[in-house]
Amino acid sequence: MMYKILLAGDGGQGIQTLSYLICNTAFKNGLEVSHIPNYGLEQKGGVSMAYIKISDKAITYPKFSKPDFLLIMSDQARDRTADYQQSGVEIIDIKDHVDFFKENNVEPYSRNIFFLSKISEMLEKQEIIKKQEIFEALEEKLSKKRGWEENHRVWNLA
Amino acid sequence: MSEKQRQFLTGAEVVVQACLDAGATQMYGYPITPGTEVLTGWINQVDKLEDKMYLQTEDEIAAGFAICGAVMGGKKAFTATAGPGTTLMQDAMSMADGMRLPFVAIIIQRGGPSSGTVIYSQQEVNLAIHGGNGEGMRLVYSPSNLEEMYELTRLTFNNAWKYRFPSVLLSDGFLMKTRQPVELNFEIENVEPTALVSPEVQKNIRNIYSFEEELRLELENQEKDFNKMAEEVTKSESYKVEDCDELIIAHGIVAGAVKEAIEELESQGKKVGLFRPITLSPFPKDELNKLAKQVKRLFVVESSMGQLRDLVKQNLDSKISIEIDGLYRPAVGIESEEIIKAINK
Amino acid sequence: MAKEAKFCPGCGHPIVLRFLHMILREKELESKAVLGLDIGCSLLAWDFLPVNTFQTHHGRVTSTMVGYKRAQPNSLSFAYTGDGGAYAIGMQSLMWAAIRNEPITVIVVNNSNYAMTGGQQAPTSFKGQITDTSPSGCGDEPVFGPELVRQVNKKAFIARTAVNDPKQVKEYLEKAIEAQQNGNFAMVEFLSYCPLNWKTVGIETNNYLNDNLKMLFPVGEF
Repeated sequence: MMYKILLAGDGGQGIQTLSYLICNTAFKNGLEVSHIPNYGLEQKGGVSMAYIKISDKAITYPKFSKPDFLLIMSDQARDRTADYQQSGVEIIDIKDHVDFFKENNVEPYSRNIFFLSKISEMLEKQEIIKKQEIFEALEEKLSKKRGWEENHRVWNLA
Repeated sequence: MSEKQRQFLTGAEVVVQACLDAGATQMYGYPITPGTEVLTGWINQVDKLEDKMYLQTEDEIAAGFAICGAVMGGKKAFTATAGPGTTLMQDAMSMADGMRLPFVAIIIQRGGPSSGTVIYSQQEVNLAIHGGNGEGMRLVYSPSNLEEMYELTRLTFNNAWKYRFPSVLLSDGFLMKTRQPVELNFEIENVEPTALVSPEVQKNIRNIYSFEEELRLELENQEKDFNKMAEEVTKSESYKVEDCDELIIAHGIVAGAVKEAIEELESQGKKVGLFRPITLSPFPKDELNKLAKQVKRLFVVESSMGQLRDLVKQNLDSKISIEIDGLYRPAVGIESEEIIKAINK
Repeated sequence: MAKEAKFCPGCGHPIVLRFLHMILREKELESKAVLGLDIGCSLLAWDFLPVNTFQTHHGRVTSTMVGYKRAQPNSLSFAYTGDGGAYAIGMQSLMWAAIRNEPITVIVVNNSNYAMTGGQQAPTSFKGQITDTSPSGCGDEPVFGPELVRQVNKKAFIARTAVNDPKQVKEYLEKAIEAQQNGNFAMVEFLSYCPLNWKTVGIETNNYLNDNLKMLFPVGEF
């Protein structure tokens, strides 16, 4: 098994936090995992990407040219990842969820939680990590912080 | 800590841990991406400690010369730098070349020339090996993964102090930012530092000579010592080289992608091996030539325009006539898919 | 005792160095002293005195001694340099060592030219001074090193004197050593002779120092 995930968004959207939660959960489950962040010069507002590989065998190189799954969280992230939007790549794009977010009052700061929930669901379907375990990691990180109730609601919405 | 323990660490965290475990006590540096995490990581670790220190200097030049002074005073001192910082560091490293100082630099390659990118490259090979004026001789390690980076960082300190040549752990922005599970090998014994200049002995140390004969003599001795060291420290990895028809040559993180590619090529029925110099200087010449005699083609893969290829050519026995092709991708990562395509072309 | 001088006859360097040695011997500090040498005529001091010495690079002796002192806090660390090494190529490091109040003693020998390379314009060359690189006369005002360094460090011992005032040479060197022993940065600039590049003979050299350098650069503590 070798599962490749590329997460892309704007700096500040929480791409690297999502990555850490996914990867650390995989690590705790004894899986081989690699995470390599990639961002431009901007401290805020640039494209932030995370290359993730999860496997049951040793990982010798952390990058890839074709992911199994791609998350696009912004317009500039969509442009930056054009080469990765190939056939056979499962893509979740924020543009397909704009209406849903509006209908359900999902604030921008909680949208990453929505996507994390989606990704977790997919990882469970692939029998890589259980969704509940990622939720527990999220809970550990955010439950004592402001907005947890809203984040929790958004997780369940997905 | 002697037991192997599974940890989830970034390259920068691994390097800082290795420097601490190597017995380093002083770091001098200047923030520069992607080397900053080593500086901040070290500072976070030693800020409250009495016996270890750091100094953020006004530039890389000052950092480098402070290291020269500190190692003469008998402290295991080091820096971490990158790109334009590596250029500035050459001033001090050249003094370390000339005076045989146990100067340790963690070089984290980024894109060049100039400010280039803050991300990644393999373009600082020449600088790491031959960045000074004259032909300064240095020990240069290029790790391919995080566990190896830990061991090689420890060896960089040990061999710097054992053989007294400036020593470089040459890494890159990708490896430094990669987070992976690691089991570090703590079972490495440290070489203890000793002061080159101390109140107990009176010494007058030069780096400039009145007569060219004096310098020639010094350089002859340096070369002799370096060759002797080479017998003991030169390192390489040969991967799936038995009966291979083609030999890919790569170093550092790129070799990781090559291993992925070889696995795929194997399933396509191709016999391709990997030769990976772990010490870029001294270069594992004998191993290279032994393998070069067995194969039909050498294929260099690197994130530069050909700095590794030039090292290969330099070290290839003049009697061996062999085709050298390559995939040269300056300052960008090379994925296995690209390597497979290039080999099959 | 000191070996044969490699300095030109009439050079000011040996005056500063011999006074330094005299003080170190009197105070029994010879073994603790480490003399880092910049490149320039300073480098000729590498085996002049029976104390630890090492050469560095041009402009880099201050940074090197910062590291040495941090490695050997009980040493007496001297950065010995010319005016070019201190105020041109090494200015940044000199200022920052002073800003951080590094406990080292910087000795600047100012002869208003780059002597080792044959007499080029220096940061201390005065307006109108003819040198190899200012054949029509130097167009810039000189750098006033001690005055400048004082701006960034209030605790340091900072002074200027001339090699033809032995009493003050000794006094300031002693005070600069004391400052380091008290944990402070110290810098003394010595207005010095360079008969070779000034193209002066005998008493002319002393007159040149008095008429040009000493008229321009105020001596005293700052």
